[in-house]
Amino acid sequence: MMNKKDSRQEEQGEQVKRSILNNMIVLPFIPFLLAIGVSFYFFTTALQSNTNSSLKRIVNDHRDMIESFLMERKADLELITNTFDFEQINEKESIDLIFENLKKRSNAFVDLGLFDSHGVHVSYSGQYQLKGKDYQEEHWFKEVMQKGYYISDIFLGYRNIPHFVIAVRQGTGEARWALRATIDTLFFEGLVSKVRIGKTGEAYILNKNGIAQTLKRSGGIQILEKDPDASDFPVPENGIQAFVKSDFTGNTYLYATTWLKNKEWLLVVRQEKKDAYDSLYSALYISLIIMLIGGTVILMAAVFMTERILKKIQQLGREKETLGHQLIRASQLAEIGEMAAGFAHEINNPLQIIKSEHALVETLMEEVFETLDPGKNEDMVDIKDSLAQIKLQVNRCAEITQAILKFGRKNETKQQPLDPCRIIPEIVQMIEKKAMVGGIKFIKNISEDTPGFMGNPSQFQQVMLNLFNNAMDAIAEQHGVSGGVLKIEACHKDENFLAIKITDNGKGISPENIEKIFSPFFTTKPVGKGTGLGLSVCYGIIKSFGGTMEVTSEQNVGTCFVVTLPAIHQ
Amino acid sequence: MEKMRMMLVDDEERYLQTTQKLIEKKGVEVLTALSGKEALEKLKSKNIHVVILDVKMPEMDGNETLKAIKTLYPLVEVIMLTGHATVDSAIDGLKSGACDYLMKPADIDEILEKAREAFEKRQRLEEKIRIAQSKKFMRSPREILKDDNE
Repeated sequence: MMNKKDSRQEEQGEQVKRSILNNMIVLPFIPFLLAIGVSFYFFTTALQSNTNSSLKRIVNDHRDMIESFLMERKADLELITNTFDFEQINEKESIDLIFENLKKRSNAFVDLGLFDSHGVHVSYSGQYQLKGKDYQEEHWFKEVMQKGYYISDIFLGYRNIPHFVIAVRQGTGEARWALRATIDTLFFEGLVSKVRIGKTGEAYILNKNGIAQTLKRSGGIQILEKDPDASDFPVPENGIQAFVKSDFTGNTYLYATTWLKNKEWLLVVRQEKKDAYDSLYSALYISLIIMLIGGTVILMAAVFMTERILKKIQQLGREKETLGHQLIRASQLAEIGEMAAGFAHEINNPLQIIKSEHALVETLMEEVFETLDPGKNEDMVDIKDSLAQIKLQVNRCAEITQAILKFGRKNETKQQPLDPCRIIPEIVQMIEKKAMVGGIKFIKNISEDTPGFMGNPSQFQQVMLNLFNNAMDAIAEQHGVSGGVLKIEACHKDENFLAIKITDNGKGISPENIEKIFSPFFTTKPVGKGTGLGLSVCYGIIKSFGGTMEVTSEQNVGTCFVVTLPAIHQ
Repeated sequence: MEKMRMMLVDDEERYLQTTQKLIEKKGVEVLTALSGKEALEKLKSKNIHVVILDVKMPEMDGNETLKAIKTLYPLVEVIMLTGHATVDSAIDGLKSGACDYLMKPADIDEILEKAREAFEKRQRLEEKIRIAQSKKFMRSPREILKDDNE
């Protein structure tokens, strides 16, 4: 039965523990995850837009720079064609001079050539043998004759080396001529790829067909090869196009593109996504670490708190159980008391009759005795003795019923404030003489700050006298007529209670008796010497004052009664 | 000097009989009544000095009877006989005009002693009344006539 109850309680405890633990873990996790999630989301979106716009800005700046470079080079040539006429340039050595000057303006120039209206290379300054070659059918020549100037894509040409040219035309009709300069591809490439973003940021140029015009810093494609990624680039209309795309090597890049040179060239700036979002990944790692540590802390705190709460609950449960037992005991005591009181009250009437009958018999016997023959005296003595016994026993019954009535009586007495500093010495005075006769040393120790309490003075006196008398009986049994010590102390116990302590060095109470000491009809005294109601009455009185009564005892050493009473607050 | 005449009021007949015998043996005249009503009836016709009144009785209980006696015959002394061990139940009686109380079971001697005390008290009171009246008569002898007229 007991085991079954225990296991059920354990199961219940287990359930409570689980639900507390769940709540303790889930509840803090919700705001915790929300906080991390929201901050992570805002951080990443801010980072992404930031990265995108910086990439766009770089493309924009870079385009302006390359465009202005090309325009400057074109302007250089136009300066020459506007300053000199065809003959002047065609003069012996003069083109070399012009080229020298041109190189001073920009190191990008590799060579310079003069062409007549039929595309014949009439004059040349540079390291290749190109003079006299016919360019009439070349694409660039047709373009320059038509448009007035032309900047070519990278091509191989007669020299069979990738390069590009800038050409300008001067004059009209048959008098047309053109000046062409080759741009150093290395120089131009340096210019284009100068962009540095993060570790993997790079810039390169493709023509409108996706043919590489400059090298990528990351390699992979030769000049004049077709870029396999370019085919599905989104086309920037007029501004800058930004997008994310995986290239043929499988790496994902952030791209920003824009047109150059009248939509003939496409400037591409790209950065590996991993690199661009580097701080994003560290943010992610930090978030993960925080989550891990925070989660562990929450878990540990939850487990710890649950243990504590459970312990508290268990403790409360135990307290409740003892309280329940006490309540049951108290109500049982009250019932017994009431029953006993009714019983005692009813017994009193027959006792009264017995008593008066006895008195009558006694009186009648006196009369009969006088008229009796002296020889029968012996019987008369027996009868008298018997009558005396009846009287004694009736009185004993009366004593018991009176004690029961005192115990079982409902609290109808008026209570008044009592000052222990005054009332205790008064009571002590009443028994001091008796104590002296018994050779008992009386120690009074009533501290002056002992607060007052509510109670009925005669009842309180009854309690004190009962305790003193018990103590003196116990002392007499242990020490005879000398060596006894009886101590009465009173003091402030705590804010709300005062304690009155009565200690003796008598024979003590055995452990099996101490349990029953406040029960009615329990006595260790010989039959006829005590009713066994004294302490239970005291207990009831102190309880009616709102106090408690406790006892500790050691056999052959002494007993200590502690009466705790609620203090009056002044 | 006038002899004390007392009355016992209790619902236990046997107790009344025995106690009556005992008290009479001591040379005191005693009447008995089984209920409050009977007691009031007897008080009407007989001059009784002290009433021993049981508190717990059927119908009219001791306290009610006491109040009735005190309003009708204020000079009659009443001693309450209580089954309760506490003073408290007797206090009510004392407040209503009883002169003393006794706890059950009470000795015959105890009852007689208290009754005598009450009787003496009553006699002292009657003495005072007599003196007061005689003073009044001395001041104005016509008062006697007035008293007679009433």
